Amino acid sequence: MKNRLKVLRAERDWSQADLAERLEVSRQTVNALETGKYDPSLPLAFKIARLFGQSIETIFQDEA
Amino acid sequence: MGNPLTPAGRRYLARFFPAMFSYVVVLLASLWFIETYHPKGPLLWVLGVAPAIPVIAVIAVMGLYMMEETDEFLRTVLVQSMLWGIGVTLALCTAWGFLENVGVIPHFPLYLVFAVFCGAFGLAQPFVRRRYQ
Repeated sequence: MKNRLKVLRAERDWSQADLAERLEVSRQTVNALETGKYDPSLPLAFKIARLFGQSIETIFQDEA
Repeated sequence: MGNPLTPAGRRYLARFFPAMFSYVVVLLASLWFIETYHPKGPLLWVLGVAPAIPVIAVIAVMGLYMMEETDEFLRTVLVQSMLWGIGVTLALCTAWGFLENVGVIPHFPLYLVFAVFCGAFGLAQPFVRRRYQ
């Protein structure tokens, strides 16, 4: 699933490790999320949305 | 690279190495005792099965890690790699068994099945990981 994580992270000037720490996940998880090949669980998606202060739908695009 | 271990990963290693160390000690001690004293009956059973106990402990340690790892992506990679490990081990053992049955290959000792699984499980991990890169 496509997402805007990389852009949102760059806007805040965070490294993958910074984002991983804020989400309490491993850097590998952040990396896999950003490629769009790994879809987060619902709790993690909500955590990401809360962290960036946006809705899940604006961060993740559900398109083929 | 540099993938710092999660707390569950650190606990896994802290349990894994003592279990493997005790496996080596128990295996050597058991073999030595059987060779030297040629025990019979129940004692032979106990000494014979003794090396399996730390191996079972390693299996439990792996299971605990699966349950305790809270990082969902790492868990996904582990579970998929474990499925590959199980599938490859079952396939190899089934094929080997049939070939053994018709006498074209030697007997494969069952105590090595777990080692085959560990090998397949380990080899699968970089391939599973690569799917998400």
